[in-house]
Amino acid sequence: MSQATHESRQQHLIQRYGTTLWPSFLIAGIASIAFFGNIDPETLQVQTLPDWNISRLGGYTIGFFMFWAVGLTSSVLSLALRGAGNQEQ
Amino acid sequence: MTGQDQQSDMYAAREKIHPREVDGTFQRLRHLAVVVLLGIYYGLPWLQWDGRQAVLFDLPSRQFHLFALTFWPQDFIYLALLLIIAALSLFFFTALAGRLWCGYACPQTVWTEAFIWMERLTEGKRQKRLKLDQSPWTREKILRRGSKHLLWIVFALFTGFTFVGYFTPILDLGQGVLTLSLGFWEWFWLLFYSLATWGNAGFLREQVCIYMCPYARFQSAMFDRNTLIISYDEERGEPRGGRSRKADPKAQGLGDCIDCNLCVQACPTGIDIREGLQYECIACAACIDACNGVMDKMDYPRGLIRYSTENAMAGKPARILRPRVVIYAVLLLTILSGVTYSLSQRVPLSAEVLADRNVVYREVDWSTIENVFTVRILNKDRVAHDYAIRVDGIEGIAAQVRDDRIRVEAGSTDSVVVRVQVPRDQIDGPGQPFRLILESLQDPDIRNVNTARFNGPRD
Ligand code: SF4
Ligand code: SF4
Repeated sequence: MSQATHESRQQHLIQRYGTTLWPSFLIAGIASIAFFGNIDPETLQVQTLPDWNISRLGGYTIGFFMFWAVGLTSSVLSLALRGAGNQEQ
Repeated sequence: MTGQDQQSDMYAAREKIHPREVDGTFQRLRHLAVVVLLGIYYGLPWLQWDGRQAVLFDLPSRQFHLFALTFWPQDFIYLALLLIIAALSLFFFTALAGRLWCGYACPQTVWTEAFIWMERLTEGKRQKRLKLDQSPWTREKILRRGSKHLLWIVFALFTGFTFVGYFTPILDLGQGVLTLSLGFWEWFWLLFYSLATWGNAGFLREQVCIYMCPYARFQSAMFDRNTLIISYDEERGEPRGGRSRKADPKAQGLGDCIDCNLCVQACPTGIDIREGLQYECIACAACIDACNGVMDKMDYPRGLIRYSTENAMAGKPARILRPRVVIYAVLLLTILSGVTYSLSQRVPLSAEVLADRNVVYREVDWSTIENVFTVRILNKDRVAHDYAIRVDGIEGIAAQVRDDRIRVEAGSTDSVVVRVQVPRDQIDGPGQPFRLILESLQDPDIRNVNTARFNGPRD
């Protein structure tokens, strides 16, 4: 990548983030719908963190980002493994 | 080619694509689709129905309002079915007509079109924009770039605002924004969604389709030889080459492609359709319109690039009704009619009958046996109702409730204790089924029938 311009490296980064951020985002969306369609974040909060004061909207948001983080971690790991000479075989 | 090469190839340096503006039947259709879809998106939350927002996914109170219907978490099945219907329709239309979705309806395409339109408005046509990219930061460049970003940001913010307006009443939301008194999470989602819109439609654009979208990568699994695709008629077009308008291509040994590259310049994903179908192609048909314009100018017949199928291109008969299309269609119709039927039969009332877990039965006197049930009533209607409870199914069965009208407010639940009594001589083994009927006193059509079991002594 000697002749790579600053721009193309930036592009490269965007594409890398895109392949991990986006799929995990989509899956987090579906997972949140399925999860919160059946479970009320308010009940969850009352039963697990009674001292905290989290609104439902807050509950949904935290849940969504938790799903996203989990998916993202796994995607990033896959990407890292793929890039680490695993594809040579 | 090693994997490493492949990868760097895949992530090849990208130059910003400035698709050339083209006019033609398909582009008009696409613009119409953009206007209609964005109109729906931005307009729908403002629509009122019966004095409240017509379409509101009220997350804080866990109710979904859809015109006359209100859904509760208990109706989750409808949401699941809706997702299944959406997925099936996508398969169906993809098998039939290829990536129609991508070209005409995907939010990524629709918002990108809108953003490109704003770019054109401020920075001019393709040639001008290419020049502007190269030019140093003159006053004009700053002004043009600045106003583009201003437009983009305002539009993105309004998009984010509208998005949150589907989840909290948009009128309150507007108030909250104007008085800067929104809750934290509302601000958060408003800005988050705006940022996503701005980034995806302003900068990432076709890269979302090429590098990120799972749907695009699955197209080969959903396509077959009879799927409608955008294709270049190689036999007719090759060998390509420039020529004068007057010349007879046959005499020069040329095909119909004049190699003007307009199809490539028009393509929002920057590919050359003449190299065959590629997964980057979002089937926007811009190249068709561009090429048809050229064919018109050259006085050649249109359709050197056209909607076609692999079979048709190979001169084989094209079939529309293939097994997979029929199967998708049947599945889709079945689920759709099932959902419609069940929605039309839907009663805004549900109840759960729970037997007392501690005492199976009680002997009230020598001739009467009693079971105690708790009935949990959910009034899914938008007005309060008074309900009466009746039982039948066993000779002489009777119910005692603390009140003969049980009032439940709109959208609330209430639990009542019901004592069900049956004459001893009617007892016939354990767990005799009976019906518990809940009926609204205001509207007898709103009733709920539950089957429960009555327990008595074994003889
Ligand atoms: S490739 Fe994906 S993101 Fe792009 S238009 Fe098609 S569905 Fe939308
Ligand atoms: S090849 Fe043609 S149809 Fe495909 S994306 Fe490019 S312009 Fe659109």
